[in-house]
Amino acid sequence: MMPQWRLLDTGLRSAAENMALDRTLLESAQAGACNTLRFLRFRPSALIGFHQSPSQELHLEYCREQGIDVSRRITGGGALYCDEGQIGWELFLDRRTFDTADMLAIAGRVCDMAVQGLRRLGIDAAFRPRNDIEVAGRKIGGTGGAFDGEALLYQGTVLVDFDVERMLKVLRIPREKLADKAIASARERITTLNELAGGRIPLEAVQEALTEAFGEGFGVEFRRQELTIGEQELFARYRLEMASQAWVYETDRPQLDVATGSALRKTAGGLVRAMLLVDRPRERIKQAFITGDFFVNPKRAIVDLEAALRDCSCERLPEIVEEFFARHPAQMLLLTPADITAVIGEALARANAVAS
Amino acid sequence: MESNGCEFRPELYYDKEYQIWLRREEDGTITVGMTDISQTIAGKILHARVRRPGTMRPVGKPVATIESGKWAGPIPNVFDCVIVEGNQQVLEDPNLLNIEPYEAWIARVRPVAPISDVLAGLVTGEQAAQGYAERCRREDIKCTRGIR
Repeated sequence: MMPQWRLLDTGLRSAAENMALDRTLLESAQAGACNTLRFLRFRPSALIGFHQSPSQELHLEYCREQGIDVSRRITGGGALYCDEGQIGWELFLDRRTFDTADMLAIAGRVCDMAVQGLRRLGIDAAFRPRNDIEVAGRKIGGTGGAFDGEALLYQGTVLVDFDVERMLKVLRIPREKLADKAIASARERITTLNELAGGRIPLEAVQEALTEAFGEGFGVEFRRQELTIGEQELFARYRLEMASQAWVYETDRPQLDVATGSALRKTAGGLVRAMLLVDRPRERIKQAFITGDFFVNPKRAIVDLEAALRDCSCERLPEIVEEFFARHPAQMLLLTPADITAVIGEALARANAVAS
Repeated sequence: MESNGCEFRPELYYDKEYQIWLRREEDGTITVGMTDISQTIAGKILHARVRRPGTMRPVGKPVATIESGKWAGPIPNVFDCVIVEGNQQVLEDPNLLNIEPYEAWIARVRPVAPISDVLAGLVTGEQAAQGYAERCRREDIKCTRGIR
């Protein structure tokens, strides 16, 4: 008989409740609970990563006005907006479930299973390291993890439906700088199940496909169960604690640590525009957006390059661009990697020149 | 000394899983860092955070947290202590943990119990060398040092 793991479906909840359940279940896994797959959904919520600062990542006033929950995850990664249109999946596992200790490899393996789940729905999904699940270069879900001793939590989302405009208002992406273009380019980078399937896929079907894929991937069967009494008690405690300002703002830093810069250049290969978010105290590129009217094949090369630049040290910019194109050759007609580096470098210089 | 490319320093103390190293300082404090094994498993470390100096940290409540490649979690804490300081250099550039794990200490703490009791619960020297090598072998861990 196949080993049985627990399947939990905690339905639609507030951000604080979902965060409290994450903490409850990770702690329970650490205490030896059965491996668990949880499905969850969110009321409109802005969630920052464990080490992120709400003031740096979110338009807090907009969230307040709109009644959007704000919370801090126990998992790593970046800020995100989610609402009823996404399905969250989470695995709470004993680390020894895997035959490797390498965290990157573990994340990759779980993501591959989630990808298989989407493929069961006829969606041509793929894993984009480090943490995105995509379809033809467009993101359809993000992932992140937390560990505590021998217990692991790895979680992801599937965008069934998504409100790009609202996300741009919630996240502190300097939309003022690009206005309409930001919305258009964010739309190009994101896709949803509804868009791809040309109609509605019921939530149950998505959950079923993921359950089957994780079951097959781990060689286990899932059995629907509820929280244990011990977990219910922990949850009652954490739902208060994680709804508190103390939890959400524990890591808050002033807004000005993050600078933005953009640059536009006419190159032989076309117009190239780069926009950067730079973490100046740490001298890292937080995020890069590259747009323009240049030709590139495959098209996804640009989003992949953006992913490669995430969190990279500013001084390594030329090296990373060069390495990237050496590893992923792309046809760009007259546009060269050096041109791209130059435009990003100019945006970087502008970000660094802004008075803090 | 090393096994599977994982550096080991016999003069340091370790927890039983070789996740952290500890060094006794002359002023009665203990310095805590990540082992080569831990930094390898974690991958490129992007964030490190230490609780405020003066904060009491019981066993199980972490002294510090780290984040690497989307994973967030605690640096384990194996004895009751009070935080004395975090290593500013590492907090500003956590990647140092991947480059020089035994130089890039994370925090300095003051144990609540007498220091001899604390050290008695840790492993060091030849015994630690064997346990460390054993974990590398058992979990097939091959260490690599990170670059910026």
